[in-house]
Amino acid sequence: MVVGELVQERDLIVIGGGPGGYSAAIRAAQLGLDVTLIEKDYLGGVCLNEGCIPSKVFTHSTSTLAETRKVSQFGIQTGEVSFNFTQMHAWRDQVVSGLRKGVESLCKAHKIDVIYGEASFLSDDRIGVECGHQFDTYRFKQVILATGSTYEAPIWAKPDHRCMLDKTSVFKLETVPEHLIVSGSDYVALEAAFGYRELGAAVTVIMETNSFGFDESIDKELFRVMKKQKMAVVKNARVISVENDGDRVLISYESTKGREEQAGSHVYVSSVSKPRIKNLGLERAGVQVNEEGYIDVNDRAETNVPSIYAVGDLTPGPALAIKALKQGKVAAENVGGKQATFDLHFIPKVAHTNPPVASVGLTEIEAKEQGYAVKVSEFAYGGNGFASITGNKDGKTKIVVDETNDVLLGFHAIGKGAVELISNGVTALEMAARDEDLSYPYYPHPSLNENWLEAVEGLSGKAIHAPPARQMAKSGK
Amino acid sequence: MVEVKLHDVGEGMTEGEITEYLVKVGDQVKVDQPLVEVQTDKVSAELPSPVAGTVKEILAKVGDVVTVGTTVIILEKEGASVSKTKDHSSKEKEEPISFSMKIDKSQSKRQSGRILATPYTRRIALENSVDIEQVSGTGPAGRVTDEDVFRFMKEESTPATLKLSDKKSEQAPVDVAEKREEVSSPTSGEKTIPYRGRRKQIGKKMTHSLMTIPHVTHFDEVDVTNVMKLRDELKAEGIKPVSVAAFYIKALVFALKEYPVFNAVLNEEKEEIVLKSDYNIGLATDTEEGLIVPVVKGADRLSITAINDEMKRVMNLAKDNKLSKKELTGGTFTVSNVGPLGSTGATPIINHPEVALIAFHKTKKMPAVVNDEIVIRQMMNMSMSFDHRVADGATAVAFTSRFAELIENPTKMMLEMM
Repeated sequence: MVVGELVQERDLIVIGGGPGGYSAAIRAAQLGLDVTLIEKDYLGGVCLNEGCIPSKVFTHSTSTLAETRKVSQFGIQTGEVSFNFTQMHAWRDQVVSGLRKGVESLCKAHKIDVIYGEASFLSDDRIGVECGHQFDTYRFKQVILATGSTYEAPIWAKPDHRCMLDKTSVFKLETVPEHLIVSGSDYVALEAAFGYRELGAAVTVIMETNSFGFDESIDKELFRVMKKQKMAVVKNARVISVENDGDRVLISYESTKGREEQAGSHVYVSSVSKPRIKNLGLERAGVQVNEEGYIDVNDRAETNVPSIYAVGDLTPGPALAIKALKQGKVAAENVGGKQATFDLHFIPKVAHTNPPVASVGLTEIEAKEQGYAVKVSEFAYGGNGFASITGNKDGKTKIVVDETNDVLLGFHAIGKGAVELISNGVTALEMAARDEDLSYPYYPHPSLNENWLEAVEGLSGKAIHAPPARQMAKSGK
Repeated sequence: MVEVKLHDVGEGMTEGEITEYLVKVGDQVKVDQPLVEVQTDKVSAELPSPVAGTVKEILAKVGDVVTVGTTVIILEKEGASVSKTKDHSSKEKEEPISFSMKIDKSQSKRQSGRILATPYTRRIALENSVDIEQVSGTGPAGRVTDEDVFRFMKEESTPATLKLSDKKSEQAPVDVAEKREEVSSPTSGEKTIPYRGRRKQIGKKMTHSLMTIPHVTHFDEVDVTNVMKLRDELKAEGIKPVSVAAFYIKALVFALKEYPVFNAVLNEEKEEIVLKSDYNIGLATDTEEGLIVPVVKGADRLSITAINDEMKRVMNLAKDNKLSKKELTGGTFTVSNVGPLGSTGATPIINHPEVALIAFHKTKKMPAVVNDEIVIRQMMNMSMSFDHRVADGATAVAFTSRFAELIENPTKMMLEMM
């Protein structure tokens, strides 16, 4: 290893080129800063290369397959519809590399100096970057840490990426599993379950609780749809061990009924995300890490060391790209002398199941727990004209409101287009909107947007396309 | 029994230190009689007695820092029976007297910590260093509006105490000696000066003014030989000495009357410029704690001698940190007389919401050309910052020219006298 003698001086170094890092770098460049971005693998991070983007190629493919199977009712004649894994993977690679090139060229256009290598702090104002045999030292004025997270499988699991899958391998199978067992209830688990079920696999979901963490009504609809699609769901069950002979898997779990077993061809194991702080040398820079291994930051993404910021999965809160994107920009703006803060209240949660789920704000139960006088209203997709046109009548929307002052508290949707629809709710919550603020405006007709209109009008029993008895406006503390 | 609580003497105040009791247990007090002196970040204030009666109990010690709402003294109302001294359980009516408290900090918050304000409003608060959680919302369903944030900022800077700081803050040029409260940290050779209290208030006011007002600073010089001569002549005649600054203020008032846009306040919401009928001249004053701006009120109605006396009075109060709200509010135009300290020019920050501020710099003997001859004259530079939304450069030049004319020919001022 050659240790560079010269210390290079940099104003801002961003460590990590995922959504948090590259958005920080671009925003800082927009503010006129000279930016150095250090990435150890590929720009785009887990999100673009392994996570959000590749998994959505899979869910989009499988949902489109489901859609295609229904097109004959619209008069479209097709031959037998079949699915080609190789082509899907090729499409994924094309999408990923295309988007990655997009990020690379944006960095170039903003004159961001991208250095490939592994960075670690040498002191509170210097970092070393190791790249093969090269080791360079940089002195920085400010640093934004955006190294993201790794994940940790449960102790009983040893993913071999053949029969036992984790989130890097679950969407990369070459054939349809005969029987996929899904251990977990997060969005990746759900997306795998729905996708492979659509492709024809038998699917069993083993979950530790009896909820996916969505609003109760949404969970209920989700369970109903899963049942309709003939997925088996085992609730309140804890996996104890897995036998994997390289061909079949046998899962032992403990449920309310005692110890049981489930055999299958594949198992997907949900993992927990862990901040990627190993080898960063945080202690040499004096950056504090909390008990769970996260770097605590304030609402400006500042760590305990004034010149060092941290964003994304490294910081407490959900390990989601949208959090990282926001915090990256906030950190960059503070570095650039601007005022900016973030607030994690209204981060939408989505699952690209079929139908998809999206949610923002408080669930009915959370709102009650927080002491609000709660009123809710639900509207079923069955009452929406456009849902009928497209043949997507599964699903519902639900609105939670503070009865005392009509301020909206939460938006929940399951059904076609839910992920796009949720932005309406995010904006309304950030604007501190009240019911009339949503019932007054015009909504395109016919469209799924009208679900919000109906749900919000249902708060006062005035939804036009729902019978009185179905208007579920109910209140209670 | 009447409980006298620490109330909010100036909006934004949350706590104060008891510096002195002006009464003791057993004293008879009259309504409005000062009971106790409290020092806050910015000013010292006296709490007056709400009733006539007898001091029963003193609850906080000198040196205690008490929060707004804390009972400091218990009084027995005049006429109440004197018999039961200790009988707390008795039905004797307890009348907690608390005055209007501007800070609603007891307001219970939802656990969620959600802020009811649009992101746009939140940014306004952020950029003005306002903790939006402290702002009570008057908008829909208690939403914090833009106006609420602005009002909060204004209240923060106008309370009795704060007012001082506001004003001071405006006077950028006079940066007060940094000597106060230097604390050397044990770990390094660095010293830190606490950034709070008046210093912070000055900072806030300055930032607000500079961010709100498009400043223009116009420089000019004025020949003050004649007015100095006049002052010396008066002195020679045994008349009580009057400082030249008093002449300047009188001349400014005359000039302001001719160019009233500089004695004004811009109300952007109502889309109007309010020309003030009072001529209350703020005097940027350097004190141990920092800049403060006491006001000479009704300068148009005062003689030059009276202006002189009033200036002395308020500036001495400022030095002793004894200014009350009365002397700190109501300014319509501010003067920063930094000349005695030196300086040849500055770009002062306007004392928001006023429209203009003038700084007078060092007077020195300079060669000047009078009637094509080089002569020695006493010359003084002036820097006048004004709000370019309200006035234009030409008006500012006309204003300072008129001022210079009056100062250069003090007899012309005679013509303006009532």
